[in-house]
Amino acid sequence: MITTTLKASLLAAALGIAMTAHAAEAPMPKELPPYGPERPLPVPQITQRTLPNGLTVWVIPRNGLPKVNVQLAVLGGTSYDDAKHPAQAELMAALFNEGTDTLSSKQIAEKLQAIGGDYGANAGRDSIGVSASALASHSDELLELVADTALHPSFPAKEVTLEKTNALQTLKVNQADPDWQSMRAFNHAVYGDHPYARDELTEASIQAVTPESLHQLHDQRMRPERALLVIVGKVDAGQVLKTVEQQFGSWKATGPAPANVTQVPTNTPAQKLLVARAGAVQTNIRFGQPTAPLRDPDFIPLTVANTVLGGGFSSRITQDIREDKGYSYSPYSTLDVRRNGGNTLAVVDVRNEVTGATLGELSKLYQGMGTEPASPEELMRAKRLIAGIYLLRNQIQSSLANTLARYWVSGMPPSFMTTYVTDTGKVTAEQVQAMGRKYFAPEKQSIILVGDPKAIDPQLKAIGSFTPYKP
Amino acid sequence: MRTSRMPALIAGLLFAITAHAADTDHWQLPVAVKKLDNGLTVVVSEDHSSPTFGISTVYHVGMRLEPQNRTGFAHLFEHLMFEGTPNAPKGTFDRVVQGGGGVFNGSTRADYTNYIASAPISALEPLLWIEADRMKTLDFSDKNLDNQRNVVKEEIRVNVKNQPYGLFFWTDLDALAFDKWPNKHDGYGSFEDLDHASIADVKAFHDTFYQPANAVLGISGDVTPEQAFALAQKYFGAIPSRPLPARPDVSEPLNTKGRHLEQTDALAKAPAIAVGWKAPDRGSKDQMPMLVLAQLLVGDDASRFYQGLVKGREQLLQIQGGVNFALGSGTDYAGPTLFGLFAIYKPNAQPDQVLAALNEEIAKVAKDGVDDATLARVKTKMLSDWYGGMEDFLSRADTLAKLQTLWGDANVVNQVPGWINQVSANDVRRVAQTYLTDANRSVIIRRPVAAHGKDAGAKPAKH
Repeated sequence: MITTTLKASLLAAALGIAMTAHAAEAPMPKELPPYGPERPLPVPQITQRTLPNGLTVWVIPRNGLPKVNVQLAVLGGTSYDDAKHPAQAELMAALFNEGTDTLSSKQIAEKLQAIGGDYGANAGRDSIGVSASALASHSDELLELVADTALHPSFPAKEVTLEKTNALQTLKVNQADPDWQSMRAFNHAVYGDHPYARDELTEASIQAVTPESLHQLHDQRMRPERALLVIVGKVDAGQVLKTVEQQFGSWKATGPAPANVTQVPTNTPAQKLLVARAGAVQTNIRFGQPTAPLRDPDFIPLTVANTVLGGGFSSRITQDIREDKGYSYSPYSTLDVRRNGGNTLAVVDVRNEVTGATLGELSKLYQGMGTEPASPEELMRAKRLIAGIYLLRNQIQSSLANTLARYWVSGMPPSFMTTYVTDTGKVTAEQVQAMGRKYFAPEKQSIILVGDPKAIDPQLKAIGSFTPYKP
Repeated sequence: MRTSRMPALIAGLLFAITAHAADTDHWQLPVAVKKLDNGLTVVVSEDHSSPTFGISTVYHVGMRLEPQNRTGFAHLFEHLMFEGTPNAPKGTFDRVVQGGGGVFNGSTRADYTNYIASAPISALEPLLWIEADRMKTLDFSDKNLDNQRNVVKEEIRVNVKNQPYGLFFWTDLDALAFDKWPNKHDGYGSFEDLDHASIADVKAFHDTFYQPANAVLGISGDVTPEQAFALAQKYFGAIPSRPLPARPDVSEPLNTKGRHLEQTDALAKAPAIAVGWKAPDRGSKDQMPMLVLAQLLVGDDASRFYQGLVKGREQLLQIQGGVNFALGSGTDYAGPTLFGLFAIYKPNAQPDQVLAALNEEIAKVAKDGVDDATLARVKTKMLSDWYGGMEDFLSRADTLAKLQTLWGDANVVNQVPGWINQVSANDVRRVAQTYLTDANRSVIIRRPVAAHGKDAGAKPAKH
């Protein structure tokens, strides 16, 4: 149980005392029925096994939906890539299903189709991931296919060439996307020289890839003792574990493991960058700073603080910038916190004319996180939203598998998925305010703008000097 | 190679096994339907595997029925549904749902507008109350209207005016392919029309379309049908219904001459193409075969277009599409729609080559149909995707409410797998021959401005 049962009368009482800046909220309607009693939080029942080769396996059997989801995560994502050739792990993962020692690209696609399958492989900053699903009766075939593609990709020369051609073209396509442009500059500002800044392919890294270099990268990265396999769905745990042993038991690491990645420095000076996009009718504002890693005790209160700031529709950012000012369609703030650090981030896209005004509002809202305590109702809403999102994630097999894998990659035990909710339930307004001072001080946030300099320059004078960003 | 080509007999046996395996994957969803005296239809699917629920209130009105000089109005109106009522002022809705641990959203489509939420079951009664409250009336204020007009314009800037390709494969392709205003106009709306929208319009739209007889309430999750029906009666039962206007005839025949448009794009860096063929009507005998054909052609990495044009000819960087693309699925439309495609093509390809290659792939199906092995695989994938679309309670409630609204029968949810299974190779061939013709095809080629240089002949993009 994470929250006590709140009746409407209690809510009204809470509102009555919260008459500070953010408590201009009206009393709830008299006729509104109270929330019902809380049910206990369901906890995923995980059958855990470690294979002799070091592979960690978690199985969560379910009933109902006749499908199975598989998630493989291997520590060794783009932050482990060579600085001169960023994000080559992405190309490697993208080629997993383009040919193995025994199957062609087309055969893999047809096999997947035949079992009602979906398959995706990618490289995040910390890990290489494979997510796949199929009808439950085909779970053995799905596991065989995941093992074959992830452990025995053949990187056929023809497929590597096509992948490189397409990656170069995709890079060109992406450069037209203002969100992509903004995040590239944002990562540069927030992570500086840390490898977390380099999570996008460049022309140089694409061109340097060969089948041989991919095999070498595969040998270095894909190691059972650095891997987790999660299986969720309508399966029998014993039967699945047998199949896993058959398919993954002979997996062995070859060659030296990659060196550990250092922690993200949190004292990087804030930057103001302007990415010029002539003719743009909006400015894409990105606002944020580095954070401690996920295992740091700050993560729990910071999550509550971020939810109050911009984590839901009733958050301060949405209510002010969208619902009061009408400046933006979908403004929000989020946390991207990982194994070796992370960042706060506000995403606000606004029309040119209100760019300066929006930056002023954001500054005030961020300042307020350190100076104006969350009202009891704000705190309650944030905690209940966090618990509600947990329940939703828990309901969707792929989401449960992904969430468990993400926490494991960040060094957390499987129980963290649930203790995270109970622990956020204990966070106080004082802790939220302390997180506000530590992570939301406006002068510490880097500001990235993608927009038309001609249209917005005059509005930026009051905010400070923006450096043109050129990758 | 692990799998080699097998003699037909063995292959046949294998498919028999596959089909048998698929039987164990059968999933029957409980569906209970009740119509209240005021005309509100309530659909419930009980499932106690999670202490949560999903809810979807679907109104049978969308972009097709907005007034002719008010493009974008149905969508603007949807925004205003979240802006408060005389009983529950602006902000209350957000606080009630989020305070209950829930998430919510709304969306406007050609034939419906849906209001969805999902939350722990403890929030069911407050959510029903506040959903019913906004069905009764709204806070019809100019301030709210101005505020959301600005928000909607930002939404259009994000998705259209400041975005490469700007959803041309939706709005511009519909404008080209269709002839009747309800089907062809831009449902996002012109800024001019949005500016003209008044509180009188908002009130008239609510009075006409937002009432029990024009709505379906879908609920799925940790609740019994008896409980849900009783709660629906308690909170919605007293809302009066009003007469509904007759639905206009929006039907259109297939096109008899191909349509072609060239555009430029000020933001994109790579050229793209959108193609649409008018698709079978909802509920017609050709609908399910067309869905199977769409899956065969463009459903996944094994599909003919992907294998033939992204791989194979290597003309495309990517392709996506389907029936009722890009804003819906093959079962959630009720008027004319397209089998639509959007593809980004590569510098080594010309649009004529792409169109010729698409036609070659179509011609194979139109001539030979599809082999049994491929057809079985395609159907298995569709079954898996259909079930997958019902996984979370929110999607389940929403699908049921939409099927009840558009098909008049939420039980279609359990019939679709059988309907897909019945589609034969001949059916697939027939719909390829009937619908995927040059005469019924509309094409837009969209090139970056830079690719035209400063050529005075280059037309500005629509947006």
